[in-house]
Amino acid sequence: MQVFLQTLIGGVTFGAVYALVAMGFSIVYRTMGLVNFAHGSVVMIGAYAASTFYMASKLPFAVAIIVAIVVTALIGLVIERFLRPLENKDFTLMLIGTIGFGAVLEAGAVLVWGATGHAVPSPVATGPIDLAGIRIPTYSLLVIAVAAAATGLLALFLQRTKRGAAMQAVAMDHQAATAVGIHVGRSNAMAFAIGAGLAALAGSLVGPMLYVNPTMGGTLGIKGFAAAMLGGFGSMPGAIVGGLVFGLLDSFAAGNFQEYSELVTFLVFAVIVMIRPTGIFGEATVNRA
Amino acid sequence: MHFTRFSIAAAALIALAACAPPGPSTGSEANATGPIKIANVNAQSGQLSSLGQWEHKGVKLAIEEVNKAGGVNGRQIKLDLFDSQGDPTVGTNVARKIAAEGYIAMLGTAESAVTLAMAPILKDAKIPNITSGQSPKLAELKSPFLFLNAPTSVTFDETLAKYLVDDKGHKKIALISNNGAYGSGEHDAFLASLKSRNVTPLADEVVTPDQKDFNANLAKIREQDPEVLFIGAEEVQSGLIAKQARELGIKAVFAGGAPVGTDVYATTAGLENAEGTVVSSPYLSNEASPEIKEFAAKYKAAYNEEARMHVAKAYDGASIMIEALKQTNGEGGQKLADAIRGVKRAGLLGTYNYDANGVGIHETKIGLVKDGKVVPEAAS
Repeated sequence: MQVFLQTLIGGVTFGAVYALVAMGFSIVYRTMGLVNFAHGSVVMIGAYAASTFYMASKLPFAVAIIVAIVVTALIGLVIERFLRPLENKDFTLMLIGTIGFGAVLEAGAVLVWGATGHAVPSPVATGPIDLAGIRIPTYSLLVIAVAAAATGLLALFLQRTKRGAAMQAVAMDHQAATAVGIHVGRSNAMAFAIGAGLAALAGSLVGPMLYVNPTMGGTLGIKGFAAAMLGGFGSMPGAIVGGLVFGLLDSFAAGNFQEYSELVTFLVFAVIVMIRPTGIFGEATVNRA
Repeated sequence: MHFTRFSIAAAALIALAACAPPGPSTGSEANATGPIKIANVNAQSGQLSSLGQWEHKGVKLAIEEVNKAGGVNGRQIKLDLFDSQGDPTVGTNVARKIAAEGYIAMLGTAESAVTLAMAPILKDAKIPNITSGQSPKLAELKSPFLFLNAPTSVTFDETLAKYLVDDKGHKKIALISNNGAYGSGEHDAFLASLKSRNVTPLADEVVTPDQKDFNANLAKIREQDPEVLFIGAEEVQSGLIAKQARELGIKAVFAGGAPVGTDVYATTAGLENAEGTVVSSPYLSNEASPEIKEFAAKYKAAYNEEARMHVAKAYDGASIMIEALKQTNGEGGQKLADAIRGVKRAGLLGTYNYDANGVGIHETKIGLVKDGKVVPEAAS
């Protein structure tokens, strides 16, 4: 039982991070119908930015995260601006463009920070909470709380604000949205900026849990992408559920299947996607390809 | 008209052929006077790039020294760096490239998996390779062109088991290792050393090299309450395991090979968590001997950073290569391989004495991590 609960805690913590990454993928997909393959690299840039401001400039961790979000949101805007001329013209080129941006960001990180990477000390000094033998690292609680708060804010934005509603409208039918006077380009830019900001949040939070280096975006990007698929690409609740399910799947497979854990995780993933190609919460509304 | 065009084309072809790279007969003549081309292959990007950069700096230091002193019998060494990214696939491409471009020897890589992938190609091309990998699988290849500049995991882990079980009397030992080339080598070697002492591990958890969350594995280990936790993984992953193990309340002493003696391990784990980790390594500190002290000072002057095992290891490898090249007068192939096998050298990591499997050093020492740095066990 102890092993089960401890596994659960590890799974939920990483699941929360995957959920953030998956939400970034989804928000760009639902507004533009585009998979942003540079997303993993933006996570990495976010991790670097936050950890650098936190460690070198001695900013409080929360402030460093906000700075990192601003930095990556700007990168998101730049990516969108570059892709905008291709919108509705060449979808494949847009996809390749995002892959290219990912490579550029990785190379840029090597130039700025070097190839070796750095370890980030935990911003929370207090030791793990002991609940009848189950140890919950305080930092894990922070990660879960911040991810939940970000999710809540995003939901409020999408459902309660005019801009959020406009983004939803563009997602449903961008031609109709244009007809009623919604600026599709601006809406797309916003989606990219929010997606990149979410990536920075995920990256900043995962920094003290891992080791920040230029290739860390690869694994996180793939896991986040798979989580988004699992939940239903483009669906926000799907991204959250997908992230958590993927984190748990990962964690329990590691405990039970040892060196075959990765294989088992992706086999289960493949089976779920075969049974439900649209994912758990998938709706086939967004298809602009 | 047709005829003229044909003759122009023919003349152009003949002219091209005349400019083409010389064949093997003329090639060796040209090679005997020009610079000696040596490839240095190491990860310069990716998770293992810290290793690759240390290795490269160690090699570069040795080569620059010999070049400054007049080179190998008057010929300069031209050292070119190739990035393997720590990826075996990239490594095989690099191996083909260095074979095609006329490099006569290779130094690196630091990763066993990459070296294993490159070895058959280098063997076919008769290019001697001194690697920093230490997987027992490298020795099992028995390639006459592959040499290790450090002991294999078998030696590392035998020393560790001797210290932990024979000297300290620990019997409650748990294992966690990854199934990559390095990790599985460590796992098998340490398990064999325990078996020979009739010790059965309390837990034997295997993870994947990409895994980040070890809660499930470590929770199982915690249930067994071990005195010692053996970690068989690379620097960063070892650090993550140590950190998460302490967070889970595992109090066992951590033990492992060279990776847990690095500052990457110590900072990833957190200095407090890494404290007291038992390290088995042929190179423990920069103060161990006058030669090592001198080397560390030289390195500090050149790169303004502290020397460490991987630097010394690569420096030793490059020095052996230089010594062998002096004997063959810059010639490569079988002759160079034989010369390397014959080198007896008191290096920074120990005395090199190559056996038939290409292993040069056959013993390691025990150190303990204190404040993120390794100190020899006897001195602590």
